[in-house]
Amino acid sequence: MTLQTLVDGLVLGGLFSLAAVGFSLLFGVLGVVNLAHGAFVLIGGYAAWTLLDRFGIDPLLALPLIMLGMFCLGYAFQRTVIQWATKRASLLASMLLTFGFALMIRNALVLVYSPDFKSVTPSYAFDSLSFGEVTVGLTRVAALLVSVVLLALLAAMLRFTSLGRTIRATAQQEQAAALCGVNIRHVFALTAGVSAAFAGAAGVAIGLVMPFSPPDETLWTINAFVVVTLGGIGSPAGALVGGLILGVINTMTAELVGAAFPNAMMFLLLVLMLVVRPAGLLGNSFKGSR
Amino acid sequence: MAHGLTRMLDVKGLSYAYAGAVAVSDVSLTVGPGEIVALLGANGAGKSTTVRMIAGAMTPQGGTIRFGGRDVTRAECHEMVPLGVALCPEGRLIMPQMTVMENLLMGAYTQRDLAKRQETLAEMFAFFPRLAERREQLGGLMSGGEQQMLAIARALMSRPGLLILDEPSLGLAPKLVAELFQLLRKVNEAGTAILLVEQNARQALRISHRAYVLEKGRTVRSDLSSNLIDDDSIRSAFLGV
Repeated sequence: MTLQTLVDGLVLGGLFSLAAVGFSLLFGVLGVVNLAHGAFVLIGGYAAWTLLDRFGIDPLLALPLIMLGMFCLGYAFQRTVIQWATKRASLLASMLLTFGFALMIRNALVLVYSPDFKSVTPSYAFDSLSFGEVTVGLTRVAALLVSVVLLALLAAMLRFTSLGRTIRATAQQEQAAALCGVNIRHVFALTAGVSAAFAGAAGVAIGLVMPFSPPDETLWTINAFVVVTLGGIGSPAGALVGGLILGVINTMTAELVGAAFPNAMMFLLLVLMLVVRPAGLLGNSFKGSR
Repeated sequence: MAHGLTRMLDVKGLSYAYAGAVAVSDVSLTVGPGEIVALLGANGAGKSTTVRMIAGAMTPQGGTIRFGGRDVTRAECHEMVPLGVALCPEGRLIMPQMTVMENLLMGAYTQRDLAKRQETLAEMFAFFPRLAERREQLGGLMSGGEQQMLAIARALMSRPGLLILDEPSLGLAPKLVAELFQLLRKVNEAGTAILLVEQNARQALRISHRAYVLEKGRTVRSDLSSNLIDDDSIRSAFLGV
């Protein structure tokens, strides 16, 4: 009973993590709060739904394609909208602008896909694996695997590749990175591209596990906020820790306290965290924490 | 040295104002290959603004910058580094959460040839043995002197033809300052031209071939360092009176 709740929580937590990691990266590196992040997540979900429904492409096969498309979208979004806003006005202006974009994307999705719930249901959607008394749907297993594997890949990319080193250097000391010959605008846009690609991937994984509709974009943006506050800014590890804790607390609260309480518990936790350890459990991976 | 004969860097009539406050109004200077040129002046004379414009970190509002015969007035840092201009910034600006090694590799960002990169790295470690010992240490955990060495090595990792140093001796103990200037001389002897911004005028004049004196954003004097070093009148420029 409780073990089942724990496993469900971990699956949900994996989704929270994956949906938050791009938000966290962009926030950590550029200082930009992208309020359209949740909308990017949904674009990924709808892309997976379209590819499966219209072309019969399995969501897991479509995943790289969707990530690539979202990468391009994120790159372009940064080089135009966010860059203009931050250069001509301020970071705050970019926040307002991304909020506007979230609303526009949400309404565009309603126009194109209707406000009804959609879910991505491949042929194996109703198969499940059983371990003793715990039963997990195959799509849930897939979603959790996607989350964990992608987060690990992102962590490795940031740690070991030249692009990762450049992103970290730019986040820590933008001026010095520029003086080393880094084209800051390009690196910022690459980071935004990675951020959007991971949002898209999260959308695919979410679509596999639960139904979604356009207004959910708010939910995924807010979840990303909570996960980042909980785990710490900028790192895949922080997103994983924050997401898993949040997921387990979510399902445990629903199970033990009542179905109406997960959100209340989530924000209680957020407030507690801000009081006790505002930098998050793992701290800010770029700025160093006290 | 070949001052004025060949001009590697040729700056004419540079100007810049921060939101109306004039920082640089008329600065002209040249640096020839193999030279060490000092840029002297009191706090706020416009030295940092000048070198930041040369390195491409800021865009001049007036005047021209030519490097290697090419007009680079509006070029940005990421265009200047491949041309061979590296600025070691004031305050060192080490990436605090990255190791010494990673900081150095960032310096070689524009060097795509991995074999060359390794070669330069080996040279830097031979040049700065302290950095070799501490290669796995985080940049933010090093002492001020070590950070300064790291900042210079990082700038040299791009194998610049012209190394610009902005107040490298700031905050260093006197013993380290002497060591630093020794080192700059060695860097210069290895073939790198140096443009040195310093408040420590005596030391700067001792190792440089020529020097410019800035006052309120203008070049007010330029001469051989050996002529300036005994000149009482230049002292007033540094005191700002």
